[in-house]
Amino acid sequence: MAIRAQFEGNNEIGVFSKLTNNYCLVAIGGSENFYSVFEGELGDSVPVVHASIAGCRVIGRMCVGNRHGLLVPNTTTDQELQHIRNALPDSVKIYRAEEKLSALGNVIACNDYVALVHPDLDRETEDLLVDTLNVEVFRHTVANNVLVGSYAVFSNQGGMVPPKTSVEDLDELSSLLQVPLVAGTVNRGSDVLAAGMVVNDWMAVCGHDTTSTEVSVLESVFKLSDHEPSQIQTQMRDSLVDTLS
Amino acid sequence: MAHVVKHITVVPTYKDFVDIVLSKTQRKTPTVIHKHYKISRIRDFYMRKVKFTQQTFHDKLSLIISEFPIVANLHPFYATLMNVLYNTDHYKLALGGINKARQLIDDCAKDHVKLLKYGDSLYRCKCLKRAALGRMVTIMKGQAKNLLYLEEIRQHINRLPSIDPNTRTLLITGFPNVGKSSFINKISRADVEVQPYAFTTKSLYVGHTDYKYLRWQVIDTPGILDHAIEERNSIEMQAVAALIHIRAVVLYIVDISEQCGHTLEEQLALYKNIKPSFSNRPIVIVINKIDVVKPDELPEDKSKVIEEFQAEGEPVLEMSTLTEDGVMNVKTEACEKLLAYRVNQKMKTNKVVGVANRLHVAMPKKRDNKERPPCIPAKIMKKKNAMEVDEPTRKLEKDIEQELGDDYILDLRKTWQLANNDDRYDTIPEIWQGKNVADFIDPDIMKKLEDLEKEEEARDKAHYYSMSESEEDEETQEMRKTARKIREKRKLITLESGEKRRVEKSRMPRPTKRSRSVAQLEADLGSMGVEIPTDADSHYVRAKTRSSSRPPLKKARDQSEAGRSRSQSRTPRDQSGLRDKKMVTKVKKIAKKAQKERNHMAKKGEGDRVILNMKPKHLFSGKRKSGKTDRR
Repeated sequence: MAIRAQFEGNNEIGVFSKLTNNYCLVAIGGSENFYSVFEGELGDSVPVVHASIAGCRVIGRMCVGNRHGLLVPNTTTDQELQHIRNALPDSVKIYRAEEKLSALGNVIACNDYVALVHPDLDRETEDLLVDTLNVEVFRHTVANNVLVGSYAVFSNQGGMVPPKTSVEDLDELSSLLQVPLVAGTVNRGSDVLAAGMVVNDWMAVCGHDTTSTEVSVLESVFKLSDHEPSQIQTQMRDSLVDTLS
Repeated sequence: MAHVVKHITVVPTYKDFVDIVLSKTQRKTPTVIHKHYKISRIRDFYMRKVKFTQQTFHDKLSLIISEFPIVANLHPFYATLMNVLYNTDHYKLALGGINKARQLIDDCAKDHVKLLKYGDSLYRCKCLKRAALGRMVTIMKGQAKNLLYLEEIRQHINRLPSIDPNTRTLLITGFPNVGKSSFINKISRADVEVQPYAFTTKSLYVGHTDYKYLRWQVIDTPGILDHAIEERNSIEMQAVAALIHIRAVVLYIVDISEQCGHTLEEQLALYKNIKPSFSNRPIVIVINKIDVVKPDELPEDKSKVIEEFQAEGEPVLEMSTLTEDGVMNVKTEACEKLLAYRVNQKMKTNKVVGVANRLHVAMPKKRDNKERPPCIPAKIMKKKNAMEVDEPTRKLEKDIEQELGDDYILDLRKTWQLANNDDRYDTIPEIWQGKNVADFIDPDIMKKLEDLEKEEEARDKAHYYSMSESEEDEETQEMRKTARKIREKRKLITLESGEKRRVEKSRMPRPTKRSRSVAQLEADLGSMGVEIPTDADSHYVRAKTRSSSRPPLKKARDQSEAGRSRSQSRTPRDQSGLRDKKMVTKVKKIAKKAQKERNHMAKKGEGDRVILNMKPKHLFSGKRKSGKTDRR
C-alpha cells in the first residue's frame, strides 16, 4: 500500500527518511506527525528510529542502506553513529564510509541484492558496499544523470526511473537490476523520484502532492497491492494516455 | 471562470471614480502657490496638476480595459456564454466607451497643458486648470452607465463556475425536471438545488467525481425545451453553449414516468432536434425514474418510443436517482465512453509517442540463476493476509506529543535495543580527560581487560614486583660506588674554597631595629623625675622635612602656558567663577554631557536660533498702515 505524507509541509519525504525492509530512519523534526506516519504503519514489526546525520535532517540523501546494513558518510558524529547502532538490530552492519561524494543517498541506489552507483564512486566505497550491504554493484547512469540515488528508486519487487529514460535504457536497467521497471513521476510530475518517495517490499510513502494516477502506477510496479506491474500497460493505459498527453 | 479570467478589480461608480482621482491629485501634488512667484513656477504648478489628473484617469481606465476579458481571445464556450449572459455587443460597446474616454481625457489634458504655457498670471493658470479638470470629469460623467454595467458584469463573472472546457467532462442535459440535478448530486460532491418545478437550475453547475484514478468534471445544465433556437431564453442558451462547445460525453436524461410534464415522444423529438449540435461526441441516453415506471411495464406505444431511442445507435441505460439503481453504472459507462473517445483522439496526435516509455513496463531478463525474493517480515505478511484489522491501535508518538503539549520531549533512547534495558538512560560522556570516548570504544574491551588482569596475576605469582633492587649486576654497583665518592669529594672542595676566600675583618653589628626613640627617652627620663620640654625649640624634636614645609618662592609655571606668564587678573571666560582646575574640568564635562544627546540626534541645540511662531497672530491680524507693525 502507498501512503501520502509530508515532512513539515515539504513533499520531498525521501530526503527526510530512509526505509528498508529491516528498519526505518526518520529525521528529527519539529513535530512527530511525520514520524508517526511510519510508526503507525511499521510499528511493532520494524524499528522506526529518529536519526540525524552530521547534524542534518536530510538523512535520506546522506546515507544508504538495505536489510543487511547501513552506510553513513564520514561526517556522521560519533554520538549519532552510536545512537543508530543502539537503535538498529544487531544483524544490521553499520559502517562509516570515507567517500568524497559524501551524500551517499544521492549517488547510490540499492535494494537487498543489487546497487546502482555513481560512475565516479571510490573503489574502497564499492568494496565496502559489497561487504556491508551484500549487493552486486553496477556503475551506471539513469536517463543520462549520474545521481542515480536521487533519480532512481527500486525495491526487491520493482523499480521506478525518471520519465526521460528511453525504452531501451529501461530494458537494460531492468535486466541489470532484475526487477520490473517503469518510467514515472511522483509529487505531481517531479522526476526526482527518490526524493519524493521511499519504498520497501511491502509499503511505500510518497509526497502529499502525488496524484492518484501516480500512486496507482507505483502501487502496481512495486507490487504493493494485488496488481501486477503489467497492469500499467493494460488497465491503466487509457488513464495514463489521457493524463500524460 | 476563475482559471480563464484572473481577478478583476472593482469598477467604481462615476461619482466614486471622480472622487478617487481628484482627491488623489490633491494628495499627491503640491498645494501652495503664491501670485508673486515667478510665472514659470506658477505655470509648472498647474501643469503638473493637470498632467497628474490625466495620468491617474488614464491608469485607472487602462486597468479596467486590460482586466476585462477580450471575447475574441476566450475559449469559444466562454465566448458564447458571455454572449448569452451579457450580450457581447453591449459589452464591447461599454469597453469601447471606456477606451474612448481614456483617449478624450488624454487629448483634453494635452490641450490644456498647451494653453497653460501661455498663462500670464496665477489667476488665469488656475482657471485653465479648473477647466481641464472639469472637462475630464464631464468626459467621465458620460461613462457613468458603462461603469455601472461593467461592475455588474464583473460581479457576475466572479460568480461563474470554474469550468475547464478541455478536461474530461460529463455533460448532463434533457428537458426541465427530468432529474439532471439529482444525478449530479448523486455522483459528485456538488450540491445543486432540486425542486419539483421546471427551471430550478438556472445556470451551469459544476461538480467533480473520480473514476479510474482521474478527475472528471460533471456539468449540470438548465433544462431545455423543444423549440427553435431563436425562441430560447438565456437560461436555455447557457445549456446550448455548453452542449456545442465542450468536448464531453453528453448524458441525455429521459424521464420515463413523464412526471416532468413532457411525453416520451416530446423527449425523443428534442433529442433528435439537439443531436446535431453534439453529433461527433460520445452520447449516452439515460432513462431515469425507473422506480416510478418500469420499462417493461410501459404501454405499447410508449415502449415503441424507447425502442426508437435504442435505434439511435447510442447506449440506452436505465437508472433511478431516487433509489440509486443504476446510477453508478451510468457514470462508469459514460466515463469509459469518453475515455475511449479521448484516447482515440490523442492516439492520432504526435504527443503519444513522447509518453511511450511511460506506458512500457520493462520486465527483467534472467542473467543468472540467483533467486532474489522479496523479504517481508512474517508479522507484516500475517497482517496483510488477515482480512480485518481488529488489533487495538497503538499509541503513536504523535498522540503522546499531543497529550503532553509543550512538556513533550523527544526521547531518542526509547527505541534503543540493548542487551540490558537498565543501561538505557546511562549518561555516556563524550569527552573524558581530554580524550574522545568514542575513539576508545572497543567491542572486545571486557576480554582485553580480563587478559590484562590475568597477566597481572601471573606476574604477581612470579614475584615480579617483590624483587628488590639490590640484585643489580656488578657493573652498576661499581658505578654507584664511584658516583658516591665523586659526590663526597665535590662537597669537600666546596668547603675548602669557602675557607680560603673568607674576609678576615671585623664587622659592625647592624641591629635590625632602632633601639632608641623620643617616646622611650621621655618615658625613661620621666620615670627618673626629669621633665623635658616638648615644644618646638627642643633640639630633639624631629624637624619637619624642609621640602614640605618651605613654601615655593615663585608660582610654578603651568605646563600649558608656554612663553610669557600672564597676569593673574585675566581669567579666561570659560574658567571665570570657577574655583579650581578640578571644577573647570568637571563643568566642561557636564556641559559636554548635556550636549551629547542633541549632537547624537543631529538636532538643533538650545543655542540654535529658533522662531517658535513664524506669524504671531497679534502682529499680523487687522489692518495695518505704515509704521504700525511693531506696536500691535
